[in-house]
Amino acid sequence: MGFRKVLVAVSAAAIATLAVADDDPRHVRHELMEDVGDAARVLGGMLKGERPYDAEAAMASLKTWEDVSMRFGDLFPEGSESGEGTEAAPAIWEDRGGFNAALGDWQDAIAAAVAADAATLDEAKPLLGAAFQTCKGCHDTYRIADE
Amino acid sequence: MRRTLVALAVLLAPTVPAAPARAPLPDHVPDPAAGELAFWLGGCASCHATPVDGKRARGEDKLLLGGGMDLPSPYGTFVVPNISPHEDGIGGWSMPEFVDAMQRGVAPDGRHYYPSFPYASYVKADVKDIMDLKAYLDTLPAVPGRSADHSLRFPWSVRRGIGMWKRRNLDASPVIEFDGQDPLLERGRALVEGLGHCGECHTPRRRFGGLETDRWLAWAPNPEGEGRIPNITPAGKNVRDWSAADIAYYLGSGFTPDFDTVGGSMVAVQENLARLPADDLQAIAAYLKAVPAVE
Ligand code: HEC
Ligand code: HEC
Ligand code: HEC
Repeated sequence: MGFRKVLVAVSAAAIATLAVADDDPRHVRHELMEDVGDAARVLGGMLKGERPYDAEAAMASLKTWEDVSMRFGDLFPEGSESGEGTEAAPAIWEDRGGFNAALGDWQDAIAAAVAADAATLDEAKPLLGAAFQTCKGCHDTYRIADE
Repeated sequence: MRRTLVALAVLLAPTVPAAPARAPLPDHVPDPAAGELAFWLGGCASCHATPVDGKRARGEDKLLLGGGMDLPSPYGTFVVPNISPHEDGIGGWSMPEFVDAMQRGVAPDGRHYYPSFPYASYVKADVKDIMDLKAYLDTLPAVPGRSADHSLRFPWSVRRGIGMWKRRNLDASPVIEFDGQDPLLERGRALVEGLGHCGECHTPRRRFGGLETDRWLAWAPNPEGEGRIPNITPAGKNVRDWSAADIAYYLGSGFTPDFDTVGGSMVAVQENLARLPADDLQAIAAYLKAVPAVE
């Protein structure tokens, strides 16, 4: 095998692994939750008074949450229970009804905040507070606490 | 063989008189509203609320203190008793009996309680707060039913040995002494070292279960299995980057400065702390910032 060919073979293999890695639900759901965390920093910073309330930035973050919350439920197929450092708890597979309910609570809270499109922090506070509670509601049971 | 037996007999000799003598109760009219805050800070529901479908009680169910939860430990399994105001619980107990249980670890019939009931922390609380707490407990629903017995291995199954343990570990004096009398730090200390019993999880233990106070709040192995309970002194891997306001916010909301959520056994603690007034959370945060940093 000439040098060229080896290179081609190697990069094809590399692309194949990359593609597999990208589709792996364990990776996808982890990355999506990181996006959720980034958006939470924006909204949480406003709630906490660390940054001024900005209705546009708030809406953009809520849209990130909305997008993830619509896709998240499909990312827990049989066979993705463990490995790749997943922090998804076995309870997701043992009690899918409960997990879907926690997901539904999150979707509802986001929908309420999106619909309100709050202009001021005072208006936004109770809605965002309720949405943040639903994060905990799900993590508490369906996510393994890391060390 | 003989010798061992004798040694054991000494160890297990009746030691009730060794418990610190009861001081007369102060002249104080117990206030159930203040007692409710003591109840949440003390985390009574986290252990004494009856589990629902094998899971920890939530919402209103936290007020049904019928006991029955298993507490696994290196010595065997403790089963938490009923402390509701029913005759199967603590219904009919007098105020001095309740204070003795909470601050001397002694039952109305003179038995020693195991320190899995965190009275070695509660002894550091103001007795008036304990009196308020009883007034609050008396307002909760009476729940019938007695818990099963603990299943402990010998010699832990014998209560009399606890008297020795108490002589070494039951101490009402503060763990951390601060220079000056900053009221915020004094308040924080009362909350953390006393009813809040934060050290029971965050401080490592010596053999036989006494807290290693020179490593106060400096992390401990997780009794529930994997991992560690984190260091919350100013040297802690996470909290060293948190401001006092961040700590207070975490305790009140359950969110870290990165807006990740609280996890593990701290979830129930945080839910309880969320019921405290904001200035108490600030006092706790100020105290955590002021304790010695332990690597
Ligand atoms: C329906 C359940 C559910 C809801 C609701 C939910 N999460 Fe998650 N979250 C998870 C699961 C499961 C994981 C673990 C993902 C993995 O590692 O596979 C996770 C992981 C995370 C992580 C860790 C990602 C990392 O880098 O390790 C963050 C941060 C996070 N969630 C933030 C949030 C925030 C903020 C909200 C609310 C706005 C939220 N989550 C709502 C289930 C949920
Ligand atoms: C970490 C778990 C835990 C917490 C928190 C806890 N307890 Fe207990 N408690 C126990 C255990 C275990 C016992 C049984 C001890 C024994 O049998 O020696 C007990 C025993 C008691 C007793 C004696 C009951 C009897 O029937 O003799 C009283 C009273 C009591 N607790 C009140 C409280 C109050 C009030 C709080 C909150 C301020 C509280 N406990 C918090 C675990 C806990
Ligand atoms: C029942 C055991 C328990 C008790 C009691 C307890 N904690 Fe914790 N605490 C934990 C655990 C476990 C964690 C790790 C949480 C996680 O992984 O998200 C933690 C985390 C923390 C953190 C965040 C540290 C970090 O590195 O993320 C702070 C701050 C904290 N606790 C303060 C307190 C205070 C203050 C008290 C007393 C009022 C207290 N804790 C009582 C178990 C406990």
